[in-house]
Amino acid sequence: MPIALPNTTTVLIISAFAVVYMLILLRKTLQGKFDLYDFLMLSMVAIIPAGFALFPRLTYWLTQISGVGFPFVLMFGVLFLVVFIFMHNMTARLHKLERQNGALIQEHSLLALELKAKENNRSEDNKPDA
Amino acid sequence: MYAPTAPVVEKPRILLVIPCYNEETSIGDLLGEIAAVGAEYHPLVIDDGSSDSTGAVASAHAQVVRLIENLGIGGAVQTGLKYAERNGFDICIQIDGDGQHDPREISALLDCYRQQPHNIVIGSRFLDNAGFRSTASRRLGSKLIASALNIFFAGNRITDPTSGMRLLDRRAINFFARRYPLDFPEPISLAWAKRAGLTISETPVEMRARQTGESSIEGFKPIAYMIRVLGYILLARLSNKH
Repeated sequence: MPIALPNTTTVLIISAFAVVYMLILLRKTLQGKFDLYDFLMLSMVAIIPAGFALFPRLTYWLTQISGVGFPFVLMFGVLFLVVFIFMHNMTARLHKLERQNGALIQEHSLLALELKAKENNRSEDNKPDA
Repeated sequence: MYAPTAPVVEKPRILLVIPCYNEETSIGDLLGEIAAVGAEYHPLVIDDGSSDSTGAVASAHAQVVRLIENLGIGGAVQTGLKYAERNGFDICIQIDGDGQHDPREISALLDCYRQQPHNIVIGSRFLDNAGFRSTASRRLGSKLIASALNIFFAGNRITDPTSGMRLLDRRAINFFARRYPLDFPEPISLAWAKRAGLTISETPVEMRARQTGESSIEGFKPIAYMIRVLGYILLARLSNKH
């Protein structure tokens, strides 16, 4: 397969996008909006295309050994895999949080009822005898 | 694994769990009917995050647990089961807050339990086919779910897996207080119970048309409902988790 190297403009645009996007992600991570896992997974959207653009010979070699026709197919394949792993873990985490949230709401409501019953008992006890 | 039968308590403490969501027009009448039955039931209304005055109306007649967010019928019923477990109730009976279930039929569940103490007793609309009859498509759906439960799991035959009127003994209370299905709780809880070795029986009851509100399963939803319920039953069969 003939190697078509990306021109300088393409490399610059992809690199600039990678840097800006990573900086935004880093800022949000430092602000506590993402954890380290989120940061790593989301940054793949910048790292993978940048890696493909900066190391075209490696890209062609990977394309060849993976048996796909074009480098971009491999790139989108890897991106899809990362997104899928991220989604998979996020769904599991969301389900767990949903269960915990439900359990917390139940506990809160049962505790409120218990407290109310105790308060009622206390006020009954404090009533002066007729 | 749970024992097939539980010891029957001479004078059991009975908790009536009544999950409600926006039932202000029917809950007062229902609690009045329960009081009129005159039995020593302890009614507990679970106000599932209602936006109307369900909680206020109910609290005039019974103890009310107010969930700050709507958890759905599964979350509401589990709250009642947790209450039953923590307060040492021997039997828990679930009835709907929309007036579909006649409180006079509770005695039928208790009689059935006394004669043959199973862990769960379901009030079935289809054993005698008396009283209010739901639409043909609903009956067909219920039959399909019942067939799936009867094919995939051993134990007594079930005819009304979607009935929300059921009795649970202490073993079933303890089991479901720990984990209760949030999606399609009525049929899936039976699959979980069967998988865990809890025994189930049915007794005929008459139900009424709902007094207020509308069913959430309308339009094309029944098809999606069926597919999802059957999927969950299959999952329960394949899973070893108790």
